[in-house]
Amino acid sequence: MNQPSGVRPDPGLTLLDLYERALPQVYGYLLARCGQRPVAEDLTTEVFLAAMDSCRRGKVTEVSTSWLIGVARHKLVDHWRRAERERRGLRVLGGLAHAAEDPWDERLDALLAREVLASLSAPHRSALTLRYLDGLPVPEVARCLDRTVHATEALLVRARGAFRAHYQSREEGTR
Amino acid sequence: MTDPFEDLLEPVVPVDPDPRFAASLRVLLEAALVRPMSGGAMPATAVQGDVVYASVWSPDAARAAAFYRSVLGWRISADGRRVEGLGQHLGLWSDARRTTYLSHSVSDIDAAISRVRAAGGTAGDAVEQPYGLSAECVDNQGLPFSLHLSSPASPPSAFAQGEIVYLTMHVRDSSTARAFYGSVFGWTFTPGSVSDGWQVQGPGTMFGLHGGHSEARVLPMYAVSDISSAVARVRAAGGTATDPVQMPYGITSDCVDDQGVQFYLGQL
Repeated sequence: MNQPSGVRPDPGLTLLDLYERALPQVYGYLLARCGQRPVAEDLTTEVFLAAMDSCRRGKVTEVSTSWLIGVARHKLVDHWRRAERERRGLRVLGGLAHAAEDPWDERLDALLAREVLASLSAPHRSALTLRYLDGLPVPEVARCLDRTVHATEALLVRARGAFRAHYQSREEGTR
Repeated sequence: MTDPFEDLLEPVVPVDPDPRFAASLRVLLEAALVRPMSGGAMPATAVQGDVVYASVWSPDAARAAAFYRSVLGWRISADGRRVEGLGQHLGLWSDARRTTYLSHSVSDIDAAISRVRAAGGTAGDAVEQPYGLSAECVDNQGLPFSLHLSSPASPPSAFAQGEIVYLTMHVRDSSTARAFYGSVFGWTFTPGSVSDGWQVQGPGTMFGLHGGHSEARVLPMYAVSDISSAVARVRAAGGTATDPVQMPYGITSDCVDDQGVQFYLGQL
């Protein structure tokens, strides 16, 4: 039935209605990217509570699963930033030579790739995850990371270089 | 040539989380939906529920008076109901439930009564008592408490012997208890050091919540100046007390009085 014009259902109630369907999507998205159940649960909680907060503040135009996945991307990036701040000082990240083009013709081993991603710095891990695991176009990645498109492109180049260096050294290590 | 990074593409695959997690998150969301907004329609004093009165409930209040008089040095009024001479309002009452009955301050008692009812508790109407406007309530764990119209208490900096320094609420299900107290008083909860233990932010008194108990009750920790002699007094008065243990915040002992009411002693 149509709502009378100008009357919209409370977005908070819409979110509760959507909860059962959206939960496995949001949780599945986060679990596949962070790999640890307790972390995925914590982040999922953050996503839904932040979403409810936005709904109640009237900041949301469309309550949907894809909007929630977008919120989850931000929470994931924030989580990696936080985690890295905690680890800072324990690990020195090597600056990598800038490679403008990086023709690299190889099929990636999914498990090894996952390990390598986890070993990268938070900005590199975030950029590569959003660009390649999530398949977002660069301007979308830039928006998620709060950077300009230009800075994001540069970050992606460095992140790819870092990924490749780690990947290749690990591959050699296993031979 | 294809970009090997394209192999990384990982579409969202739905995964069902642990049903207990799913259920407790739903409770949190429902509570968040009804919780007063900070900075919104609620006044700035959105967080409520300071403990302004606490009463020991035991089967025989006169017997409890004798026990706590000898252990904590409580001076008790002629009617046996009130502890006198302390900075806190403490009392005694005969009730078989063996808990600590708490009265919480609120600035708008009718709004608080509605929040108690909306959150799954029961609340009587506000009644004018000699000490002010109050409403008798039961929370969603079955714990009795009351709402009291008053301004928030300022937390004390030091505690006299026999005053409550910490309150621990034992509940069956911590997620529904958190949802209740979160929506009624605006309290928030951070995970504590023990499993299903939570530090409560909001009430002026230090407050903890612990889930997984067969029955809900509130356990007080009383300040003592010398814990070894206080432990000896508990044992001499017919109660039990564990040997004192050094915790980060002080030296404590787990006790049970001579009628089976649990409490703690703390030398802070």
